[in-house]
Amino acid sequence: MPKREIEGDWVMGWPDRKRPAIIAGKDAQGRVINGRAPITELEGLITPTDAYYVVNQLEVPEPIHPDDWILSVGGEVERPIELSLKDLQKLPGRTVRAVTECAGNDAGYFDYLERGVRKPSRINQQDMQKRAAQREQNAVPSTEEIGNESTTTCAMSAGEFTGVPLAEVLKKCGLKSDAVAVRMEGFDRGQPDLAVQYRSVGRSDFKLVDPGVINYEKGLPIAKALHPDTLLAWSMNGEYLLHIHGAPVRAVVPGWSGNWWVKWLQKIDVLKHMPECYYQKHYFVYGRSPDDPNKEMITAMGVRCIITDPLDEDSPLERGAHKIRGLAWSGMGAITRVEVSIDEGRTWTDAHLEEPCERWLWVRWSHLWEANAPGHYRIMARATDETGRVQPQIPWNYQRKHFDGIVPTDVTVI
Amino acid sequence: MSSIRPRWRVVMHIVVCVKQVPDPEAAFSMFKVDEAAKRVVPAPGLAMVMSPFDEQAVEAALRIREQHAGAKITVLTLGPESARNVLKHGLAMGADEGVLIRDAVFDAADGHVTVRALVAAIKKMTACDLVLAGRQAADSDAGMVGAGIAELLGWPAVTFAKDVQVHGALLRVERVVDEGTEIVEADLPAVATVSNEIGPARTPNLRETMRAARKPIAVWTAADLDLNAEAQRARSRVERVFMPVKQAQCAFISGSAQEQAAALARELRTAQLI
Repeated sequence: MPKREIEGDWVMGWPDRKRPAIIAGKDAQGRVINGRAPITELEGLITPTDAYYVVNQLEVPEPIHPDDWILSVGGEVERPIELSLKDLQKLPGRTVRAVTECAGNDAGYFDYLERGVRKPSRINQQDMQKRAAQREQNAVPSTEEIGNESTTTCAMSAGEFTGVPLAEVLKKCGLKSDAVAVRMEGFDRGQPDLAVQYRSVGRSDFKLVDPGVINYEKGLPIAKALHPDTLLAWSMNGEYLLHIHGAPVRAVVPGWSGNWWVKWLQKIDVLKHMPECYYQKHYFVYGRSPDDPNKEMITAMGVRCIITDPLDEDSPLERGAHKIRGLAWSGMGAITRVEVSIDEGRTWTDAHLEEPCERWLWVRWSHLWEANAPGHYRIMARATDETGRVQPQIPWNYQRKHFDGIVPTDVTVI
Repeated sequence: MSSIRPRWRVVMHIVVCVKQVPDPEAAFSMFKVDEAAKRVVPAPGLAMVMSPFDEQAVEAALRIREQHAGAKITVLTLGPESARNVLKHGLAMGADEGVLIRDAVFDAADGHVTVRALVAAIKKMTACDLVLAGRQAADSDAGMVGAGIAELLGWPAVTFAKDVQVHGALLRVERVVDEGTEIVEADLPAVATVSNEIGPARTPNLRETMRAARKPIAVWTAADLDLNAEAQRARSRVERVFMPVKQAQCAFISGSAQEQAAALARELRTAQLI
């Protein structure tokens, strides 16, 4: 395998590996507003905070000092309350390790598998920089223009979050029995950028609803809200949350895509009905077309498995033993099996799952491949989770959300 | 010590002048103008990096060394202690040694003082065959250091290089001009300033970065360079530093297409745009 050059940098004054960092898109003031994780450069399970992907739907708000932050909790509860960060920290805490994945992550692979367009690359820096820059443009592109643009990859990361279960907060307020949903509102505010949404969907030949200026909000079904691993978190990867990741407090909704992980929380309303939040009624929905009368809000992610080694870009490989490596995760539970095929899916072999296999975290897997015969190989991998779901689970949908298809790696052995 | 290269010497010595600047990729809003102090103030914590044209000058030197095995490359800068980091970056790219000119007397150095100091350092080094610099610094955009060094050394200067090659005792430069490029030759020793057309500079790899940690960086003061008070005296004076006021005017031209075209041409000529 041709070795990819290890980049060097000066870290704390010493020569070292260049540390992984997001490919960032910035606003006019040079502040990061979106970023892609360098997923193939990472090791271990937890994504370093500087390399953690960033996606925002509305404008990033001005920061609030943690001492000035107040969370109001009301609606269908016996005792509406206001909590400071210190109040929140007095409740029984919990730490959860989980994958965060943007609902539109890897959307371009839908087009690759369905329509045979160019396979997106997870390491093409130019593509990723272009994508980051496109996020800053607000002119609505034509469907044809979008088709020629680079696609979304690497909007996935995994972190360790510490906070308090949302259920503890609801218990403190006295949750009423007729509660159906918990509406979480952030203090990020703005008018949804239609250009961003058209780009995410991959087409612009339909009309989007324009809700005007809104706060970001999501209505979490009560069962998920009461799950002990659904947190209001103030900490990420061993330190207080960074502003760009939702400080002082954000929601952590393991297994569900990033749009549910409301950042910059300021208000929680318990409701007797599902709210008609823009970002779950009009956007972040499954449907066959924009006119589909049976659109459904997206919730848990499918079952995913990606190959991080080798990549198409590593081809040609020299004959001999090569380790096929990757990551696998699921929106509904721990990964129990990963299978690898090197003959386009005709035969499958179990890969080695590298412990731990946690419920919400991804697992690293590997398979030693003795590549002794020259030729072209199509390497595939598929995962199974503890609920028995086998990849892929999520069919094509017009907003291209929750892609979990099997993406082959194509290499030649010489 | 003479800086003139004897014709018979085989090992080439290239000195690359580099400058530490606030990250030019930073948004303009990261800078404030202090009109009273007549200076631009970058936001605290703004990354300081090697000026990109200088990075490309280092790249040009490395490409020459690829054709002339054994050539020595020295990166040279004038600045505060933090400027050591741009030397370390140059060493990680592949340069052999660094020289930092650091002295409080240079805190208010203008282009002239900088040139005097750099020239004194070049003269102090082992004989130098070629001096390379970026075509201009990314912060001040003055573009005078390269030509100034050549003037004080009495060497030929070739500016805006797209490609720099050494053939024996001859420097051959493809330089960028308005109409395209031209090839210029000069006897060594000489000075060349490098333009962005040379292409992207290489990214330091881990092995070279680790090697760089063991490469020497000399620190010289004004006294080490025998620079007297006259040499330290700035020749330029900043009159005013201010944010330019952007104005946009829109004029509509009416008439037939022919009349509009003629009127547009007149306007553009009046504005000296064509």
